[in-house]
Amino acid sequence: MSINLSGLTAAAGVGYRQYKRGTAPLPERGVLVRAIVEACEDAGFDPADVDGFVSYGDDKNEPVRLMPDLGTKAINWSAQVWGGGGGGIAGAFGIAASAILTGQARAVVVFRALVQGNSGRLSAAVMAHHLNDHMVASGILAPAQVCAMRAQRMFEYHGVPYELCEELVRASYYHGSRNPEAVAYGKAFDHDEYRASRIIAEPFHLFDCSRENDGAGAILLVSTEMARDLKKKPVKLLSVAQGTEAGYGDLLENDATELYPTAGFRAIRDRLYGTAGLTPADIDVVQLYENFSAQGIASLIDHGFCTYENVAEVVRYENLIAPSGKLPVNTSGGNLAHGFVHGFVTAVEAVRCLRGESPNPVPGARTCLLAGGPGAPTISSAIFGVD
Amino acid sequence: MSYQSATGPIGAEGRYWDALQEGRLELPRCTGCGQWHWPAVWRCGACGGWDHEWVEQPIEGEVFTYTRTHHPFGGTEAFAKPFSTLVVTLKAVPIRLVGVLEGDETGLKIGAPVTGAIARTAFGDAQIPALRWSLA
Ligand SMILES: [Zn+2]
Repeated sequence: MSINLSGLTAAAGVGYRQYKRGTAPLPERGVLVRAIVEACEDAGFDPADVDGFVSYGDDKNEPVRLMPDLGTKAINWSAQVWGGGGGGIAGAFGIAASAILTGQARAVVVFRALVQGNSGRLSAAVMAHHLNDHMVASGILAPAQVCAMRAQRMFEYHGVPYELCEELVRASYYHGSRNPEAVAYGKAFDHDEYRASRIIAEPFHLFDCSRENDGAGAILLVSTEMARDLKKKPVKLLSVAQGTEAGYGDLLENDATELYPTAGFRAIRDRLYGTAGLTPADIDVVQLYENFSAQGIASLIDHGFCTYENVAEVVRYENLIAPSGKLPVNTSGGNLAHGFVHGFVTAVEAVRCLRGESPNPVPGARTCLLAGGPGAPTISSAIFGVD
Repeated sequence: MSYQSATGPIGAEGRYWDALQEGRLELPRCTGCGQWHWPAVWRCGACGGWDHEWVEQPIEGEVFTYTRTHHPFGGTEAFAKPFSTLVVTLKAVPIRLVGVLEGDETGLKIGAPVTGAIARTAFGDAQIPALRWSLA
């Protein structure tokens, strides 16, 4: 027995709090409670009635500890996607939907919270998940370095032009500069500043790297039927897929040769589109998790929006910005220019843009692809849609 | 197995570290079907066999990819910045190994031939046996 989950659950509420790293006004759990209550208020739903919680990326906030603040009556479901990176962000919605569609929970909050004073630096936490003597003995201590080696292969061997990173970064900053919630709000993108920014690990400059913020995000998922009775237009979960394939993952850089420079999404692409009955051409807007600019590009290739051969035709600034571009990407600024709370802003903006609440609206957008954390050993993506 | 890890639990590759400490590169091959495995495994996922032989290998190959690290990430104190880390495809067996490049970096590119030596990387209080590559 199996059911197609497409369209049966929907995001009904969104909450998001973001602060400059090290400046959150509350400890992590306090910020998270704020975000969850905000999501419930957005939906017109009593926080006490949330009965399920799902997270990803080794989040440290065990749902049971949220109960006194939320007034939670009962937890009927709690789970987390495996993996230390952002690879699980979209998969978290799949877990939540599975609980709702099997009657195990009724209203599930997908969340992620990260405040440095409580959980330390994200990059260090992600790396602690993967470090071994092989890597540290080779001077590899940070996600940027691992992603840099994969990016180098994509650029040098597969011929993807390095200059395309700037197109993606510039589009993110354009959107972020027009978003009052974004770190880049009011800031113009400066080509010279980008090029002159210090090198982290070649080929990455500082501006190619997402920089961590403190904050928390929460999205309330319920059945589409229930969502219709709540305050906001339901944003339906049309598809979600998570996983990986043989020859990709934590393999001491011994991934299959063709998979090595990818972001890992070839493993789920067919399932993702198949569940929704859609193709890349049907996607109106993309919220793209970009820990690093090159991995964002690799993710667009993996998801079928372009190939190594024609990537320069698609990853162009003009093509990536709303409302005029054919493939608007990261309409709030994304991880690079909106803010980086372990990628959660991409999920938040996926919902907002389909409601018409984006700071950079995409008129008439009906489908949004949420591309999860690229380059993680286990990855996931989702497609959201509105009628 | 005598090698003590500096970072966390060791998987099936204890023999690799012991050999490296003694100055040899040894890598595992399934005695059932002949498949080379890296990372090392206890059970061969291809044939289901549990027995592996560790075979000494020459330390040479070609650059699969690389990065030159400029940022002083914590834990990289052993290396003066910038330093280059290479992923190298071994010449003799279908396995890639990671190590830092020493000496002249002129000509560093994907496909460049390299030879290797065994050194030690200081990491905290540990001295981890490690490969160092040189452009051939
Ligand atoms: Zn075998």
